[in-house]
Amino acid sequence: MTASSARQINLVGGIITLLTLIIAILWAFPIYWGIVSSLKPENEVVRPYIELWPETLTFEHYIFALTETQIGRWYINSIATAVGATILTISTSMLVGYALSQLRFPLRRPLYWLILASFMVPTQTLIINHFVLVANMGLLNTWAGIILPQLINPVVIIVYKQFFDQVPRDFREAAVMDNAGEFRILFKVYMPMNWGVTTALAIVTFIWSWNSFLWPFLAVTKTEMMTITVGITQVSDAFGVYYASQLAAAVLAGLPVALAYLLFQRRVTQAITLSAGIKG
Amino acid sequence: MAEIILDKVSKSFGSVRVINEVSLTIQSGEFVVFLGPSGSGKSTLLRMIAGLETIDDGRLLIGGKESQTLPPGQRNVAMVFQNYALYPHMTVRDNMAFGLRNIKMAAPEVERRVQDAARMLEMDALLDRRPSELSGGQRQRVAIGRAIVKEPAAFLFDEPLSNLDAALRVRTRVELAELHQRMNSTMIYVTHDQTEAMTMSDRIVILNDCRIEQIGTPMEVYTRPASRFVAGFIGSPSMNFLKGSYKDGAMTLLDGSRIAARVAVPEADTYELGIRPEAVKVCEGEGEGDTKGQVKVVEHLGERTLVHVHLSDGSAIVAQDGGRSPVQPGDEVALRFDISELHLFDASGKAWHAE
Repeated sequence: MTASSARQINLVGGIITLLTLIIAILWAFPIYWGIVSSLKPENEVVRPYIELWPETLTFEHYIFALTETQIGRWYINSIATAVGATILTISTSMLVGYALSQLRFPLRRPLYWLILASFMVPTQTLIINHFVLVANMGLLNTWAGIILPQLINPVVIIVYKQFFDQVPRDFREAAVMDNAGEFRILFKVYMPMNWGVTTALAIVTFIWSWNSFLWPFLAVTKTEMMTITVGITQVSDAFGVYYASQLAAAVLAGLPVALAYLLFQRRVTQAITLSAGIKG
Repeated sequence: MAEIILDKVSKSFGSVRVINEVSLTIQSGEFVVFLGPSGSGKSTLLRMIAGLETIDDGRLLIGGKESQTLPPGQRNVAMVFQNYALYPHMTVRDNMAFGLRNIKMAAPEVERRVQDAARMLEMDALLDRRPSELSGGQRQRVAIGRAIVKEPAAFLFDEPLSNLDAALRVRTRVELAELHQRMNSTMIYVTHDQTEAMTMSDRIVILNDCRIEQIGTPMEVYTRPASRFVAGFIGSPSMNFLKGSYKDGAMTLLDGSRIAARVAVPEADTYELGIRPEAVKVCEGEGEGDTKGQVKVVEHLGERTLVHVHLSDGSAIVAQDGGRSPVQPGDEVALRFDISELHLFDASGKAWHAE
């Protein structure tokens, strides 16, 4: 390699690094801004110019969010619905993915196409149907009502199908020769062999469910049944919205997800990569 | 240990017939090898016995029991796969016990069988390891152990040595033969390696183009091949084939040389003469021999030398000479045929042997 070509590569590398840095700052700034604002007194927040650091540092909004709202209850609701949705989504999607990948039954392909096609339909367009269904089932303002519509998750099914497709057929045949039924093949052979993808999908499903807003916002009207994302909207009174307090509640709401991400960083990245090719 | 009978079994994949009315009886305790080139249907036939492929027509009896419609787990056969198919997340012990636990066998009996098999295969120390911590040869043993613990009526092997290196393959071949003698169990073994077939089997079933070409002991298929295909497929280097016509008890080759052949075939038809390299000798003296040609290549193999010769009509023939053969490429040599080892093949490939 000549000195000039090495310099050229260095220059290109430098530009890419700079661009990545700029994008990272642009992406991270709202989070920084939210955290900083939640540490300012309300009168500083509404000033018409940008202050990157609080003039007066205060935790009063956090104390307010933790003591004057039902945030504890919202946390419980969020944990229960996110954990429930995760367990049910993973277990049902794994079964569907296994059936589509390994079993031969009539209309298998059309069923797969149907699941693929369901991507094209945004959740928002189905939300009225979901609402009517859940209301008719008498499940509004319940955990089950929040969880049920979240279980429709084609990405998880397709990722599972792809992974099960990649397991060499010999393993299935060895298990069949070993007298194993379909459930034993799935739970004793295929699932343990794809443990990594199950963990990754579980984490990412939990995060999706925790962050979901539109459906829980519609399905719940009682304050004590709200999830934390919906609960944030309640941090106001008759005199208007308190931005700093809302931001403090939002920071508290995002904390478990941020923690989960920090703990399982590699798995989350893997899951996002896995689903990225499909979800687009 | 059980007798296995295939009675006119057939199998198609879509419109393609892959096994065509194959009938075969494998005696109890026999070691039978299915040998054939790729696509001959040998693995499909094994998988049909295992139950991994359905049998479209015909009957399969394992130990006298009609088994063609039984699921694989209920046929009382165990299979060793080419890639071993050891469950990577289980220890050796769990791999071996998996099949027994699936039929809810009592834990002490499972442990006894696992221990017995491990002792027999000398892998007691490996029981708590995972497959990724084992060498190729050790994985092979575990795969065999997984089959042994089931105490099946028959063992089915699908090219089990093809993933081992040459030295380990030879050693495992001997171990498998020993295992068969010790257990005296029915074994069916699929391979495309004729050395494995010749060294291990009681009988070889040679398959070609979805049907059986010949069934026989290793020496039968070597010395009295039923067809030109078998003659060419068995033996390394393979049999020499020379075109010619048969008349008055002699075969006239295309280079004009006449080879006396005591073979009872209709005269004057066009035949191919078949003779193995070890039955073609290089003569020392001028004027001796049945034909002559020019040496093209000489391969010194130590205890013997293979001499590749072109006859005057251009046809190629391989002769065998002693280990210290003085023959050089370019030499004109005379070749003598051992006429007791001659075979003639007609246009349909059918074989006649020297009397």
